[in-house]
Amino acid sequence: MTTHAEPVMGTVFSFTAVHGELPEATVRAALAAACRILHRCDAVFSTWDTGSPVSRFRRGEAALGRMPPEFAEVLAECHAAKTASAGWFDPWAMPGGFDPTGLVKGWAVARALAELRGAGLAGGLVNGGGDVAVFGSPADGDRWRVGIRHPWRADALACVVEIDAAVATSGPYERGAHLIDPATGRPAGRAASATVTGPSLALADALATGVAVGGDEALAVVAGLDGYAGYLIRPDGSEADTGGIAFVH
Amino acid sequence: MKRAGWYVIAGAAAGFAGVLGVLVSGAAAPGALAQLKPGGTGASAAPSAAAPARTSGPVRKVTGTVEQYGYGELSVTVTVRGNHIADVSVPLLRTAEPYSQQLAQQVIPMLRAEVLTAHSAQIHGVSGATYTSAAYAQSIQSALDKLHAS
Repeated sequence: MTTHAEPVMGTVFSFTAVHGELPEATVRAALAAACRILHRCDAVFSTWDTGSPVSRFRRGEAALGRMPPEFAEVLAECHAAKTASAGWFDPWAMPGGFDPTGLVKGWAVARALAELRGAGLAGGLVNGGGDVAVFGSPADGDRWRVGIRHPWRADALACVVEIDAAVATSGPYERGAHLIDPATGRPAGRAASATVTGPSLALADALATGVAVGGDEALAVVAGLDGYAGYLIRPDGSEADTGGIAFVH
Repeated sequence: MKRAGWYVIAGAAAGFAGVLGVLVSGAAAPGALAQLKPGGTGASAAPSAAAPARTSGPVRKVTGTVEQYGYGELSVTVTVRGNHIADVSVPLLRTAEPYSQQLAQQVIPMLRAEVLTAHSAQIHGVSGATYTSAAYAQSIQSALDKLHAS
């Protein structure tokens, strides 16, 4: 097993690579390729870099046809996620213009993970600043176990879940600026923490953002989506979930 | 992987294990809860903190009797698997005034958090709201990465 931590996109991405039959050098090369993908995503989608393609698009300085190919892909994912979340995730309703931040990190994690899978690893985990995607097994057919951070304690967990694909968590306790209620344009305050599991991390990330904004109402939307499940900690500390999450005791 | 390193994280919860042991031994132990009142009172209150229905395996639940603890009355339910505590919740909490209620409510999620900190030895990653590079340094994920790398 090889691990790696890569600072990129304003956070740190953590990798766990399960070698299987692969030689060390092949694993290292796959990790390096995955990191290149992340830095490329950062260059295209950074809303902090005023010269990035997404920043130019936000200012209306770049036509869609002239944007990098990744941009159209993320745009399509954003449309799909807005629909799936019944509008609770809406990158077009952000102050300052179109902002895919609530989805793009999960999407980038999934791309990095696909690189590891394509290289023939027996298993892998990529954690992009709190958004986690996995494939294969950590060891001997075990499932991947992921802790959900406690919203009021950085050094503790609210619970532990087992996953086979993806889990994303959103909440106002780190950088809540993107948790804007699309209906009011103001910070939402209906959730202390929102977690969504499912097959696609891009969609899970967007849905977690949606539940962090919409609270119980958005959680009910997730409950209606095939393959996705949600877990909400409300601002008063009470909890709710949709069923379908493999909580570990 | 170096297994020995994992227990560094587990050690942080050791101080609470004794208190939880008291809780699990039978009735609610309001005295123990009082000891654990967090210093700050500005944090969000967390009433009842009833855990969501969680699947998996045989568990044992122990609910203490209703106790008078000086500021009101409460009872505590502790969920046990094997010889360790899986969850802590408060099915009943009545206090004379809102301030006591706020203090008492904060204790329960803290207790459960400590239990789960102890269990973090068995996880492969941590999901949470996006941390900055600076916040990463303080995170459990960072601790896991260091333990793996060593």
